[in-house]
Amino acid sequence: MQIVDFNPGIEPSGLFWTSRVPAGAIRGVNPGAGDAVLQATNVAVFDFHDGVNAIFGGGPPPVPAVVSFEVRWFGVDERVNLKNRAAGFAGEFVYNQAQMEWSGTSGGFHYQSAPLSTSFSLFAELGQERNGTFFPH
Amino acid sequence: MRTTGGALAAGAAFSSGLLNARFARAAAPDDPLPIPGGSPVLGGGVHIFGPTPDGSFDPIDAEPSTITNFNGVVGLAYINGTVTRTTIATGAQVDLPFIASDMRLMQGVYRGVDGKPRQGNFALI
Repeated sequence: MQIVDFNPGIEPSGLFWTSRVPAGAIRGVNPGAGDAVLQATNVAVFDFHDGVNAIFGGGPPPVPAVVSFEVRWFGVDERVNLKNRAAGFAGEFVYNQAQMEWSGTSGGFHYQSAPLSTSFSLFAELGQERNGTFFPH
Repeated sequence: MRTTGGALAAGAAFSSGLLNARFARAAAPDDPLPIPGGSPVLGGGVHIFGPTPDGSFDPIDAEPSTITNFNGVVGLAYINGTVTRTTIATGAQVDLPFIASDMRLMQGVYRGVDGKPRQGNFALI
């Protein structure tokens, strides 16, 4: 049973769980080498309690929450070039690995993950993408 | 970030229904716009895809960005680990898994609501 779902919500435009972050939050980016770091502190989000409630609602109302996180992408397991005319995007990606350490506070609870090195990715990718008006038709 | 309690965590067991739109506010000129499509698993109206190696959600070559009119770096990861939950009032602690936490970065040029190209940095949390 999922008990926590931290995300910024869905914008009225439909923009999904996506927030602006400071320029320094994304660093060490080298897509060809599979390297990137995403790190932010005290990001205001909501705890929607579970994913279904976060997307479709119908459950308990979300509560304000704050999260901090560091995600590291690394390595190269496979290189792929993607071009999907139907979806309207193209890109050059590496499939690789990632790890994360995070903390958060919601309601009367504080969450602190184990160190980054103890986490592991089920799937990770990093690359250059072009879509919409930048898609090379 | 998604944390589960109990022995079994469902990954992405979504159902159909109304979208849970964020608290209405006026769009800013530099707000990014969502990708036009969406995962069939979520009914097609939720503007995100979840590429997976085995195609159990979306095919591995599905789009990772959530922003359209975008040209830049995208990173996606589904991450497992453990987290300690502390009840602030009592100090009681319990260790829980976090499973398939979907984290993404987007860094590059985008055209937002007003169509002007800008540099932006975004995270899917």
